[in-house]
Amino acid sequence: MAQISFKLNGVAKTVTVDSPETPLLWVLRDQLGLTGTKYGCGIEVCGACTVLINGEPEKSCDASIGEVAGKSVMTIEALKTDPLGARLQAAWLEHQVPQCGFCQSGMLMAAFGRLKAGESRASTASSLSNICQCGTFQRMKEAILGLPGVA
Amino acid sequence: MSAKRTTDTMVLDRRSFLGGAAAAVLMPVTLGFAAGRADAAAAVGAYIRIDASNTVTLITGQTEMGQGIGSGLAQIMAEELMLDWAQVRFEHAPVNPALYGLPGWGLQLTGGSTSTMMWYAPLRSASAIAAWRLRAAAALTFGGLVEQWTLVAGGNVKHASYGVKTFASVLGKVASTPVPGSAPFAGTKRIVGQRVRRIDLAAKVDGSAKFGMDVMLPGMVFASVVHCPALTGTVKSCPTRASGALAVVNLGNAVGVVASNTWNAMRIASTLQSKITWTLPANPALLDSGSLASAAQALQAAATPANLKVFETAGSPDGKTGTIDATYIAPFLAHACMEVMNATVSVTKTNGAVTLVELWLPTQGQSFVPGTVRSVPGLANLADAQIKVNSMLCGGGFGRKIEQDYVLQAVKLALTVGKPVKLTWSRPQDFKNDKYRPYASMRVRLGGDANGIGGLVYRNVSASISFQQGANPEDTGAVAGAVKLPYAIANRRIEFAPLPTAIPLGYWRSVGESYNTFAIESAIDELALALNQDPIDYRLRMLGADPRASRVLQTLKASPRYTGMAAAKRGAAFLKGFNSYVALALEIAPDNGSRIRVTKAHYVIDCGLVINPDAVEAQMQGGLAHGLYSALYNRVTFANGVPQVQNFSNYRVLTARDMPQVTVDIIEGDPTTTMPGGVGETGVPCVAPALANAYHRLSGTRVRELPFYPGATMSED
Ligand code: FES
Ligand code: FES
Repeated sequence: MAQISFKLNGVAKTVTVDSPETPLLWVLRDQLGLTGTKYGCGIEVCGACTVLINGEPEKSCDASIGEVAGKSVMTIEALKTDPLGARLQAAWLEHQVPQCGFCQSGMLMAAFGRLKAGESRASTASSLSNICQCGTFQRMKEAILGLPGVA
Repeated sequence: MSAKRTTDTMVLDRRSFLGGAAAAVLMPVTLGFAAGRADAAAAVGAYIRIDASNTVTLITGQTEMGQGIGSGLAQIMAEELMLDWAQVRFEHAPVNPALYGLPGWGLQLTGGSTSTMMWYAPLRSASAIAAWRLRAAAALTFGGLVEQWTLVAGGNVKHASYGVKTFASVLGKVASTPVPGSAPFAGTKRIVGQRVRRIDLAAKVDGSAKFGMDVMLPGMVFASVVHCPALTGTVKSCPTRASGALAVVNLGNAVGVVASNTWNAMRIASTLQSKITWTLPANPALLDSGSLASAAQALQAAATPANLKVFETAGSPDGKTGTIDATYIAPFLAHACMEVMNATVSVTKTNGAVTLVELWLPTQGQSFVPGTVRSVPGLANLADAQIKVNSMLCGGGFGRKIEQDYVLQAVKLALTVGKPVKLTWSRPQDFKNDKYRPYASMRVRLGGDANGIGGLVYRNVSASISFQQGANPEDTGAVAGAVKLPYAIANRRIEFAPLPTAIPLGYWRSVGESYNTFAIESAIDELALALNQDPIDYRLRMLGADPRASRVLQTLKASPRYTGMAAAKRGAAFLKGFNSYVALALEIAPDNGSRIRVTKAHYVIDCGLVINPDAVEAQMQGGLAHGLYSALYNRVTFANGVPQVQNFSNYRVLTARDMPQVTVDIIEGDPTTTMPGGVGETGVPCVAPALANAYHRLSGTRVRELPFYPGATMSED
């Protein structure tokens, strides 16, 4: 058993886990009930589990809860609290991006993290490596490229 | 397992029903409304629920798995009730095939692009009848005659003396209204045919959408499984406990591990592999892709292979086929749904006896779930009311989630541990225990002249889904895309020879068309080239009797999207299938030296009556992506039953970088005569042949075996 404290979506959080090795993904989903972050591959390939850790997009299947101690984690559930995040969500709806939707939390968090850090829309849109088996890439690109007020 | 056999047998019938789908929807179906007052009142309540805030919810048996079916069907309802789109919702129905099954099939499943095709007319009628009954209820509530009450947009009714009233204000009298055999349609096209926003997407951008994998129950424990490395192997012996696990359960075809979280369960399950002994499959040759390829070759060479079935024969094709003799190969494929197989089950016991099994599932196959539950020892006598299925959103289905294997495991686990259990397969377990899209070898012998095909002899040798299940020598599933071709071919013979295999097979998006269209549309391109004919004009010469087909290809040919593609890099293909017509043209370019990428893709589709053009475009974009990564990169091979696939790392799929701009021209059918055709699968079949045809223009090389780049990994670029 280990106790880990970190900041989750702006709120201080302490969790008790069997092992500090437990991936953040499964602490979020199974223990904290934040199921917006998805499991897709478990090996840092698909991007469905993407969250922000200290502002950086990270694959939460590969970040152990131990590593997260003292850091700040943002998940899809809090995206709307950031003005850019809310605009990104609105653009996603405007362009009707999701199909099944399963990859979309990761897609949005990856795009948000990059745009928030100042990466250009064009670079973000063309280089997201998230997998989407429904094939929503074209609309994802259009939604990002059409985002107002971003470089 | 006999219960499983029964359900599979029912599944495969869906293909034979496909041909009859159009006929089924053209008949006015009243959904049991004629069955009497009590039934009728229940039926209104069963499909359409109106609440006190005047929100109107469609309750549908069709599963939302990305294709937008919940919204699309809700549009049909909203049209006839003259609703404002903002007041419309949809939700998945409980299991009740008689009520919620596809009309005419009585099967509650989602597949074969049948949902809109089969529900359009009955749901439209049911909604119009509901509208009439709401007007009648207004007359009972406030006074006047039903004829004096009219529908007003926004979920209201209006009377000259009594004014505007909401649907909600008359609900108390709906049960007292008579049920007409039919009712007039609103016919305003306010919502059907419009680009309304999908109802389910708001929850898909903020993390609140609930997929099967997201179900949380009080006191729940988490499980995962490990199957035999060789397909169809079973557990001979396994440990009964493992460090860190709450339980280790022999599931027959796998070992289940129950733990405090999913990661623990997956981790422990994979370490258990070395401690389990398995009964290996008896005939590994039937589970080896190399042996199967040789067997298929022998069946192609044989004059009369075992169990040969001739599906179509006309004229005398032999002797008229001299120009092309080519064999095309399509590999076994995985479904690779973004959401892995998972199921959550809670078992309630009263005085030691099971009185309720409740399931939360991502499923396309609701009809089969009760049979799955009852196949578990001790549960055979459960009544329908004791099996409660909650259908969750599916993170992709593509045919995989019709299957019941993961459901069965979760029921057994919940029964054994006595707590609610969420079973989640790891991605490697998901890839290695799929019901794979069949391997197919297709020999095409073809001849003709500038006016068209003189003779076609076609033989499909494939690992047939229905043949494997033994209930049916073969329905049309294995040859769909090679029979009932739209082209005028006077002399032809279409044969099927089953390839015996033990590899578990399943329906995969676009089914038989996913491989037969590759062979047919590649071979026609080869013939046109051999005869120095333009491939589109050549097809058009054989489509004179089919005006919808002709119009689609003519529209493609005239499109600036098509003429704007460089002819030396362009390829096209055509499909008539799923009651729709689709033409696709691609332009390709060299990429990373030895590879190609698609730079442009343009679809022309006539899918009859269009419910939502934006949804049609989305399905074409998605179909392109699905067809493209499959044709370029994917196959699953098996070494003595062991699938040689692990994860997305060695099963390359598309990312943003590889997605071309897809444009779509939709040809609107005449709304008074056309019915909706299929959309979900129709984007896929043309991709592989269009790609092979374009590649031949670019390189001079004809690709007849898919994928283009076997062994591609995710990390190489
Ligand atoms: S689940 Fe983390 S990258 Fe796929
Ligand atoms: S929307 Fe279905 S996987 Fe991306």
